[in-house]
Amino acid sequence: MTDVSIKVTDLTLRFPVYGVDAKSLKKNLARVTVGGRLGASTTGATEVTALSHLNLNLRAGDRLGLIGHNGSGKTTLLRALSGAYEPDEGQIEVRGRIAALLDLSLGIDPSATGVDNIRLRGRIAGMSSKEIEDKMDEIAEFSGLGPFLAMPMKTYSAGMQARLAFAVATAVEADVLLMDEWISVGDADFQKLAHRRLLNLVERAGILVLSSHDAGLLRLYCNKVMRLEGGVASEVKDIRRLDELLAAA
Amino acid sequence: MESGQHMLRTGRRGTLFEFSMALRDLVTSYHRRGLAWSLAWHDVVSRYRGSILGPFWITISMGLMVLGIGLLYAKLFGISVAEFMPYVAMGIVFFGLMAGTINEGCDTFVQASSMLSQTSLPMFTFIWRTVLRNLINLAHHAVIIVAVIIFFGLWRVMDVLPALGGLLLTIVNLAWIAMLAAIASARFRDIPQFVMSVMQFAIFMTPVFWKPDAFPDRHAFLTLNPFYHMLTTIRAPLLGQEADGLSYIILAIMAVLGWALTFSVFAITRRRIVHFL
Repeated sequence: MTDVSIKVTDLTLRFPVYGVDAKSLKKNLARVTVGGRLGASTTGATEVTALSHLNLNLRAGDRLGLIGHNGSGKTTLLRALSGAYEPDEGQIEVRGRIAALLDLSLGIDPSATGVDNIRLRGRIAGMSSKEIEDKMDEIAEFSGLGPFLAMPMKTYSAGMQARLAFAVATAVEADVLLMDEWISVGDADFQKLAHRRLLNLVERAGILVLSSHDAGLLRLYCNKVMRLEGGVASEVKDIRRLDELLAAA
Repeated sequence: MESGQHMLRTGRRGTLFEFSMALRDLVTSYHRRGLAWSLAWHDVVSRYRGSILGPFWITISMGLMVLGIGLLYAKLFGISVAEFMPYVAMGIVFFGLMAGTINEGCDTFVQASSMLSQTSLPMFTFIWRTVLRNLINLAHHAVIIVAVIIFFGLWRVMDVLPALGGLLLTIVNLAWIAMLAAIASARFRDIPQFVMSVMQFAIFMTPVFWKPDAFPDRHAFLTLNPFYHMLTTIRAPLLGQEADGLSYIILAIMAVLGWALTFSVFAITRRRIVHFL
C-alpha cells in the first residue's frame, strides 16, 4: 500500500462522564417524577472536552511522537484513531490496516495458553483463522517464548506477556501502528527485536503513532512530534525540535 | 466503505446518517461473523477450562431437574409420566435458552468494554457472541431433548419443521431483547438485576413446569406472555401437537417491532455506548 494516510480534520471529542450515581435507574426515574426541577442537566452527564479542533495529516513513512502531560488527550487521540471513539465534530480518515497496541491485556484470557491467546488476539486484530495458523510459527518464534506458549498466560511475567502481545499485534500486516507508551516493557534482547520489527514496519511504508513521556524513545522511533495540552494540539514539528516543544510547557 | 483498509469516522450528520452507520455496524459484524463465533466458542471453552464434563454439568443438572420435576409433578397433577416428562424436559431446556440469552445479554457490552474502547470492532459482533454462546450451550442440552424423544417414542409423532421455525423466530426475538438489555445495562447498572428478577418471575408464570389446560384457549394470561409463544411454537410440534398459528404471528410481529425499536435505540446511542462503560 502506498497511499497509507491518516487525515484528521477539526476533530473534537467530548467525553461524557456519567457519575456513578447517574448510572442508577432510580435517579433517572426520580428526575422524571420531580418534573425537571433539577434543572438543565437532562442527561446526567458532565462533559469533558478531551480533544478540541485537532488537525493532523500523516503520510507513509511518518512516525509521529505524541507528548503531553497525563490527561492531555494522547490516549484519547490514539483510541479515536483506532476507531473506538466516534468524533463529536470533525472527521477522522485512516487508510491502511490499523494495528492498535494500546493495552497489552486486550483480549487476553489469563487462564488460556499462549497459543490460544495468539489465536484469540489474532482474531480480534482481524486475522482469519487460516492467516493465524500460517503465521503461528513466525509469531511463536518472534515471541521467543518457546515451550511457555503451551502454558497458561497467567504464569507469564509482564515482560513475557508484552512479548506475546507485541508479536501478535505486529504479525498483522499493519500499515498503521498505534502505540501507547509501553515499548519499554521487556528485556534488552526483546527491545532489540522490537526495535528491528518497528523499523521494518516503517520501511514497509507504514505510519507509526507513539505516545510517550520518554524523550529518548521518541528520538529513537519518531521523525515528527506533536504536543497535546488539555486536548489542544500543537503543530506537528520535526523531531529535532522536540526540545522546543518540551520547553514550551 | 468500511473495510480493513479504510476507516472513516465523522461527527453527527443527522438521524439518517446515524442509521446508516448503525447499519454499517451490522453489515461489518456479518462480514466478521467468524470473530463472533471464535469469541463465543472461547467463552464456553474458557468457562469450563479444567473441567472434564464442561457444559455438560449444566446438562446434568437440567437432566436431574427434568427427572425430579417430571416424576413428582406428574404424580401431583395426576398426569402420566410419558406425557409430562417430555413436556417438562423441553420446557426447561428451551426456557434455559431464553433466560440465558437475555440475562447474559445484559453483560454483553459491559464485559466487552476493554475491546470496545480500543478497537473498531462492530458492536453487533458482541451481541452475536452472546447469542451464539447460548446456542452452543443449547446444543449440549439438546442431549436431554434427544433422550426424551427417543425414550418416549416422540419421533413417531413429532413435526420438526414447525419446531425449527419456532426456534428461529425465538432466536430472532431473543437477539433484539438481548441487545436492548445490553445497551440499557451499559447505561444503567440496575438493569441486569431487574432483568434477572423478571426472568425468575417469568419461569413460573410461563407454562414451563405446568400445563396451560386450566386456561381457556387464547386466554390473555398466556397470549400476553411472549415467552409462552416462544416456548409453545418450539415445544408443541416436538410433542406431536400443533402450536396455535397465532403464536407464530405474534412472534413474527414482535420480531419486526422489536428489531425496529432496538435498531433505532442503537442508532441513537451507538456513539455513546463506549462512554457508558
